[in-house]
Parts: sequence; C-alpha cells; structure tokens
Amino acid sequence: MAVTLTPEIITLLDDDKTSKILATVGADGFPHAVEKRSLHYGGDGSIHYLELLETSTTNRNLVRSIWFGGKVAIALNGEGRSVQIKGRPVKTHITGPLYQRHYERIRASLGNVDLAAVWVIEPDEVIDQNLEARKRREEALHPDFVHLDLIART
Amino acid sequence: MVALLKQKFRTELSFDEVVANHPGFPRLIARKIDVQRRGVHYTERAAAAFDPDLHQLRSPYIFGSRDGEIKPLPESLLLRDGTTILVDPTPLAQDPYIVDHRDGRFVLIDDGEQVEDVDLWPKPAYYGKLTSSGLPMSHIVSARPQRLNVFQSSFCYFWADKQGCQFCDIVTHTKQQRDELGVPNRLRPKDVKETIAEAIREPGRFTSLCLTAGSVIKGAKLFDLEVDFYIELLQAIGENFTTKKFPSQLIASAFNEKQLARLYAETGLTSYTSDLEVLNEDLFNWICPGKAQHVGYREWKNRLVRAVDIFGRGNVGTGLVGGVETAQPLGFKTEADALASTLAEADWLAARGVTTVYIVWVPRPGSAFKDQKAPSLDYFIRLAQGLQDIRASHGLKVDFDDYRRCGNHPDSDLARLA
Repeated sequence: MAVTLTPEIITLLDDDKTSKILATVGADGFPHAVEKRSLHYGGDGSIHYLELLETSTTNRNLVRSIWFGGKVAIALNGEGRSVQIKGRPVKTHITGPLYQRHYERIRASLGNVDLAAVWVIEPDEVIDQNLEARKRREEALHPDFVHLDLIART
Repeated sequence: MVALLKQKFRTELSFDEVVANHPGFPRLIARKIDVQRRGVHYTERAAAAFDPDLHQLRSPYIFGSRDGEIKPLPESLLLRDGTTILVDPTPLAQDPYIVDHRDGRFVLIDDGEQVEDVDLWPKPAYYGKLTSSGLPMSHIVSARPQRLNVFQSSFCYFWADKQGCQFCDIVTHTKQQRDELGVPNRLRPKDVKETIAEAIREPGRFTSLCLTAGSVIKGAKLFDLEVDFYIELLQAIGENFTTKKFPSQLIASAFNEKQLARLYAETGLTSYTSDLEVLNEDLFNWICPGKAQHVGYREWKNRLVRAVDIFGRGNVGTGLVGGVETAQPLGFKTEADALASTLAEADWLAARGVTTVYIVWVPRPGSAFKDQKAPSLDYFIRLAQGLQDIRASHGLKVDFDDYRRCGNHPDSDLARLA
C-alpha cells in the first residue's frame, strides 16, 4: 500500500545537502546500502533513482526486486531530520521522454556520465528515525524498557 | 494477405499455472514470451490513443506479421521492467493478447483480465526526416527502444534457389514492403550513413547498431560479395563515430576466417552472429536446406568457433528460432527431447566461446511452416533458463545481444542478473 510523502519529506528528498542511502537486497540475502545522491521526488508520489551503471549491484538488485517482489529502503538524513522510507521498485525507464530528460540533466550536472536507468520507487511506509521521536514512541509503547539506574532517585 | 493460423491457446495450461511451476523465473519475462507466442490485437480505443508524434509506428522490418498486413499500428511494447516485447498485430481469431487504453494507460488484457501496464515504443527523433536523396530515414534504418537496425539487403539467395529456411518469410515480406511502402531493395551506404548520423544526434536514445540481411552466396569464395557489402556499409557508418570500434552486431552468413578477419580489421564491428536456427544436424538439413547445402551444419558450427578467435569470447553468437525443432513431421516428438538436444548443443558451443540466443518461433503466414504449431509457454521458459544457465556456467557474457542492445531474446533478458 503506497503512502503519501509529506511536503517535509519531499523537501528533504530533493535537498542536495541531504544524505541519501539506498538499501537493496541481493540474491544471497545480503543487504547492499550505498549513498545515492540521485534519489529525488518523482513528482507523482513516487521516488526516482537515477542508476548510472548497468551492472552495479544496486541495479541488479533492483531488477531482482521488480521481478520477484523485493523491497528497498531509503534512509534520509538532513536539516535535523532523519527518516526511513520503505518501498518497492515498480518501474524502470530505459528509454522515452522521462529517461531522456534525466539523461540530459545528469550529463549537464555531472559531466561525462552515462545513464543506465531511471527507477521508480513507490513508497509503502515512512518511518521517522529521529532519535527523540523514536524515544518518545518507545517510552509510550514499552515503558518497561529502561535501565533502572536511569530512573533511580539520586 | 490472409493469415491461416489456427493455433488455440485456451486448451493449454493457463499462464498462472505455467508460471507457478517456475517460481525462480521472472513473471514479466514469462509474460513477454507468452505475448510473443500469441501476438497482440489493438482495440479501437487503443488505436485512438496512439500519438504518431510520440509513438513509433510500424516501420520496415526484415520479417512480416501474423496478420500479413502492413498497417500504421504501434511498432511494439515495453514492460515496466524495461523489457522489450517485439510482437506483431495478430488476428483476433488466433486468440492474441489485447492491448487496450484504460485510465490514460496502455494495458495488456488476457481473457478479459488486465494483466500488465505497457508502454508503446517512443518515436525516435529522426523518423519523419528524409535523406539527401529524398528517402524516408525510417525506411533506411529502423529503431528499437535502444538499437538501430540496418537491413542492408532484402534479398536471400537461398530463397532464389527455393532453399529458403522453412520458418522464414523474408522475401515474401520484402516484396510486400517494396510494393506497399516503397522500401528500397538494397540500401546505399550514403543513405545509411546520413540516417545514422541523424539518429545518434538524439541524446540517450541508442546504444547499438545491428546489421542483417539475407544470405548472398556470390563471389570468388562463397559469401565474398555479402562480406563486401557489409564492409562498405560498416565503413560508411563508422565515419559517424570518434572511435574506430562502435557497439555493433552483424547477423550474417557463416563466413570463413579470412572474411571474418577482414570484417574485424577493416570496420568498427564489435560482434558477430551467424544463425544456426536449429541445433540439430538432421533438422538443420530439413529446415535450412540452403544453409545445409552451401555450408553444412558442422562447418557452420566450426566457423562460429573460429570467429571467437577473431572477435573474442562473448562477442560471437548464434541465433535459434526457438521451438522450430518441434516442427513436424521431422522434428522432435516431445518437448523434453527437443529441449535436451538443443541445450546439449548450446553447451558444446558455449564451451568454445559461442553464445546461443533464441527468438520465439511464430509460424508466419508468409513462411513454409505457416500451418505448424509452436511449442508451449513451459517449453520457452525452460529454453530461456537453460540457455542463460549454460552461458553463466561457461562465464560467457552476452552484452551485444542483451535486453537493451536487442530485446528479442528471453534468455538474454535473464542476463540482467548475471
């Protein structure tokens, strides 16, 4: 089930200063997490990822995911916010107007690079990874999960 | 021309039942195979949604279609994983998939159920332009999503001697294209060079070139004239590139070592394919009588192996008309026997550096095999997986003929995970 990305998440996703990690899973079950600066908002509720190398581990894992129903995770960190987005690759563009627009754009920004594919990732879940927010949630749901010295009378 | 095929698919196992038996095989590639087996029919609503400015309509091709007609329909389809489906319009009576337009999207319909979204091939920028000699560039070089096709000559000397391959409709279709569209019989290098120059101006559109045509047996040595044609053409094409070599595939006759060495040394060609069509000597002799008489099955294989010394491992291939080994009355009687025999021969070739790919056999109305029945979806799935497994076991790549550079081989689609 797709979720709607909030304006704050979209801003974080499109901010060049945001750290963006894309995690995929290989055939052997090992996770593969790599910083991918080309992750950005797709404009229609989806996330776009520009893959530069046909034979990269990420690209192969994304192909495997779209073929066999695998999932991906995206970690964003910037401007005091940290979120994780879980989702699924639902389409890849290797030709056509969207692909060509990105092809020209990425060559204009990065120079002599090629573009293998534009992946479309549909977000299923957004998790706020901010420690304070996570801590408040944990305290509310699991009040017993605490070291006693932290609540000892001093 | 009226298609006579009567193959029915409803009496077979359903798509879901077949795919359930192959959990490690991508459903999208199975869908591609099934669409190619059965063909497509475009609804009126889909036809009304084509945009000739955005979508590539059918352009000259080396083989004909199942409806035997040349109509302004979409060239073909793309699946959402980037997989190409080369498929032709098919009469409704043959139980094809339906392509409809619903909620602003093109969709594939099977038995009334919407099974996949599809995209139409985008129209390349050079379509609609003319060469300096006044010919439509789309008649000189045709496009796939990422490849340029140059069908150098539309004549096959085996056909002239009534020894054409029995599954092939190249000459029938050529005559039709010449009569109905004015497609030239033989391309002039200058027109091709101009068209390629215009095509590759489009950023990010094309990744490779493919040249192919019928066999030309003339010359001092068998095929010398065919080699001369290709060298002249490849040299003209090469003038468009800054590098001596450019990503390219030649699908041609089985040339001798001297001819292959000339092709490699004198042109920018990077890969060589010569199609055995069927991997069995007796069936080769029956199905490809011209190839059998002039070269022979064993020599054809040996020439492929010798080509590896010139073009390198992973740059030499042979193509099969997958399933034609089950043609009757002389073909294999069971799919299991056909598969075992074909894969054993493919393994022999792979051990010597030659990769094998297949296209889905469609008995075409313009071919001698027009009334034959192609094998099951299950067979084509096993053949695709088997050929890719063989490639992987021998460490062979198939970059020049993969999902992107070609798009017509279910087995090399699987190489995306290799």
